[in-house]
Amino acid sequence: MELLLNLAIFLPLVGAVAVALVRKEKFAKVVSISLSSLVFFMVLYLFLNFNWQAQGFQYITRLEWIPSLGISYHVGVDGMAISLLLMTALVFVSAFLWSWKVEDRPNLYFALFLLLETACLGVFSALDFFLFYLFWEGMLIPMYFIIGLWGHDRKVYAANKFFVYTFFGSVFLLLGLASIVVYGYMMTGKLSFDYTFHLGFSYPLMLQIAGFLLFGLGFAVKIPMWPVHTWLPDAHVEAPTAGSVILAAVLLKMGTFGFVRYSLPLFPEASKHFIPLIFFLSVVAIIYAAMMAIAQTHIKRLIAYSSISHMGVVTLGTFAMDLNALNGAIYMMVAHGLSSGALFMSAGFIYDRVHSYHMEDLGGLARYVPKLAVLFMLSGLAGIGFPGLAGFVAEFLVFLGTYKNFPLWAFVAGVGVVLSAVYFLYMYKRVMFEEETLSEYRLEKWKHLKDLETHHTLSFLLLIVLAFLMGLYPYPFVKILEQTSKYVLGG
Amino acid sequence: MNWNILIPELTLSLGILLVFILDLFASKKHYRTLLYMSALVPVFSLLSLFLVQHPAKGFFDLFEVSAVNLLGKAVLYVLTSLSLFAMQDYYEKKGSVYTELSYIPLVATLGLSLLMSSANLVLTLLSLELASISMYLLVSLFREEYLSKEAGFKYLLMGAVATSMFSLGSAFYYASTGSLFLKEYRDENSLFTLSLLLILSALALKASAVPFHFWTPDAYEGAPTPVTGYLSSAPKVALYFFFVQLLTYFHHLKQWLLLLAVLSLLSMFYANAVAYVQRSVKRLLAYSTIAHAGYFLLGIATVESTLQRALLFYVSLYAFASLGSFVIMSVLEKKEGFSHHLLDYKGLYKEHPVLASLFALFLFAFIGIPPMALFVGKLGLFMGLVETLLLPLAFAFVLASILSAGYYLRVIVLMFLEEGERRFPPARVSVGEALTLLLCSFLVLLLGVFPHLLYDLIRL
Repeated sequence: MELLLNLAIFLPLVGAVAVALVRKEKFAKVVSISLSSLVFFMVLYLFLNFNWQAQGFQYITRLEWIPSLGISYHVGVDGMAISLLLMTALVFVSAFLWSWKVEDRPNLYFALFLLLETACLGVFSALDFFLFYLFWEGMLIPMYFIIGLWGHDRKVYAANKFFVYTFFGSVFLLLGLASIVVYGYMMTGKLSFDYTFHLGFSYPLMLQIAGFLLFGLGFAVKIPMWPVHTWLPDAHVEAPTAGSVILAAVLLKMGTFGFVRYSLPLFPEASKHFIPLIFFLSVVAIIYAAMMAIAQTHIKRLIAYSSISHMGVVTLGTFAMDLNALNGAIYMMVAHGLSSGALFMSAGFIYDRVHSYHMEDLGGLARYVPKLAVLFMLSGLAGIGFPGLAGFVAEFLVFLGTYKNFPLWAFVAGVGVVLSAVYFLYMYKRVMFEEETLSEYRLEKWKHLKDLETHHTLSFLLLIVLAFLMGLYPYPFVKILEQTSKYVLGG
Repeated sequence: MNWNILIPELTLSLGILLVFILDLFASKKHYRTLLYMSALVPVFSLLSLFLVQHPAKGFFDLFEVSAVNLLGKAVLYVLTSLSLFAMQDYYEKKGSVYTELSYIPLVATLGLSLLMSSANLVLTLLSLELASISMYLLVSLFREEYLSKEAGFKYLLMGAVATSMFSLGSAFYYASTGSLFLKEYRDENSLFTLSLLLILSALALKASAVPFHFWTPDAYEGAPTPVTGYLSSAPKVALYFFFVQLLTYFHHLKQWLLLLAVLSLLSMFYANAVAYVQRSVKRLLAYSTIAHAGYFLLGIATVESTLQRALLFYVSLYAFASLGSFVIMSVLEKKEGFSHHLLDYKGLYKEHPVLASLFALFLFAFIGIPPMALFVGKLGLFMGLVETLLLPLAFAFVLASILSAGYYLRVIVLMFLEEGERRFPPARVSVGEALTLLLCSFLVLLLGVFPHLLYDLIRL
């Protein structure tokens, strides 16, 4: 079992090397899809065998790595990590299937995505600060090139913005890591980067505040929270479809994951201290981003703003200091991964067929691509929290928990969430319906528009089936997440 | 006499003499043999390091060896050997074959090697001069290249200022302490402080810290590129190993921290800002060296073994990354008409995927992205700065490294994300260059994943 987790993390890396060396297009595609499916089944096996009643981390591997600096290779998962791993592995399978028809430098493309997969799986399973940071930064270079090489018109600008913003956050994160490691060293005389070692400390308030701010800055850029969110719309708009899918589904979760895994347990008092600030930023993000989304005519940009808005709900739930809210926040991470992935696929598909992201070029699509119309609707409903789909459970739990301690904040945020239905339905209407906007020219051109192909349908279904499953039968998922929430909230 | 401690330097000197004498009789067509011979000399010195018993002092206590400075010498010898291997093809292709070039880098290395062991200001001055004069020659020895002469001259003039400051500083040092031996003198007086100021300025000039950096961009740009590689690696390593020793004698002065902080802050921010307006990648990397000088000086802001160990690790790996990137540039420069202008790097990935990837690896290493080894140095410096509660400096370091990311990225963008406009004839990588690049990139990656292989050897 322990071995399985390590295999799941490093198989994609091996695959990346193989794909980069063997310069055969077919080979790259087959290897990527089969390896990522294999990884998914491994993670699924771990997920099903996860003991949600036991406390602490499971499937732990710990090897001495750099003894003189107190760094070890330490991986393991808790309820949140295994759920996110499952979602990550699934989204990667989906992204690889989606990329079946990629023609531009396919080997490099798949190698970079496989590299990215190792980094993403690693971030969620690392239990050592050094290892965590290694994976955290490890995702930066592949993503940079994915946006920069396969993106749209302003790809270089977007890639640079993405890199500089993220790097900005992570250097502060690094300083934060260094500070608490040094504090641990000065207190105990033992230099250790181990997460579980530091979990036992209670730091003085000043250090907690400093650590919270430094870590928080790193996480906030990644989530992204308002006002450091401006890289996200650009990165999403310019990234290739599969890049957007991974960016929205997995990379954004690293930030919220960081808050739950590191900020809350390591700096509990500082976290309480900063609740008003975080709430303020979250609510601003929810409402402001939703309003920005309503104002967009570029569908990818609209979905990007909707991500920011939803991540606001996650940070709100994370800091509500309530079991239900935290469960909901983690649930939302997984649910949003599924729905935003599917939404970006829809947008990407539309672009592939019609070569435009702008609503004014799109009206009346539903008649020509009926399968997409159905799946697009389902992904959107999953995103806006329609009952029966995963997003509903998440939002319900978050607001239930937040309302208990902070009714006013919950109310304001809840109003903001209503806006998500507005922007999605508005977009759907303008893209899929409104047949009266169809011009003669467009009618002629769209007559032969091809609907979803098999690999498209498959990658959609993977995500939507899980979204349904999590929406209709949330109990086992909530129980597994609760394993994390309980220890994070201390009891 | 304890000759044992001098074995590596003696080996080096013997090698220099041998190559020198052969050079007198050999004609130009033996240039390649001579160069490879002299590239092997540091390897023998490296092996002879194992014969040295340490810690020990000798030659009337002028000369000291310890575990740390032996390690520094090992790094220095490896760097010298690699940069010599990388020189041969460049000069041949450029039609600028001077057989003297085969041993002058060794003379510079001899000077640097002595510098690391020096315990007396006279020996320091002599060894610094030996190294500097050889480097002036290296910079200017380039046939029919006006820029190289100008660079050499500028370097010489600035270097002469450093020499005079150093001599004056030594004189004041003698006046206030009655000795030229480097020791910890507790009784502070203004003369002693003045001598510190002068000596520190001279060394800062050699380390190319702002405001003593003016020679760096010009010398780096004008020098033949493999020589730039040598300039940006070997002397830096030697200098910081020497700085760490100097720190033990001077750190108690209350001006020390202030001086170092000012130097390092100026270097970091000035260089990282000015690097953005550079049009030549060679100059851009020169400013990157200056910025790194700023980072490195943080490592000797105060006595704390975490800081110094991180510094020595950082500077050693920086030297390899820097040598590697200049070697890549020298390979590219062998193309007809290649000028190191940023635009010449457009679309490099298409033409030379391996070279471009390696260059990107080194540039990402400079930014401080793991798993490249420079990241561990950065992390170590952060930890040391937090440990000594120099938090403002830690913050400045964070800001400076964020600031620096942009200009490195610009080169990467040009190489990978843009299409080339000009077509150049292809450049071939010679065996020596391949060896250097392979070893540099291998070390940068290996020590990033397993830093303790080197880190544990740095015992202070």
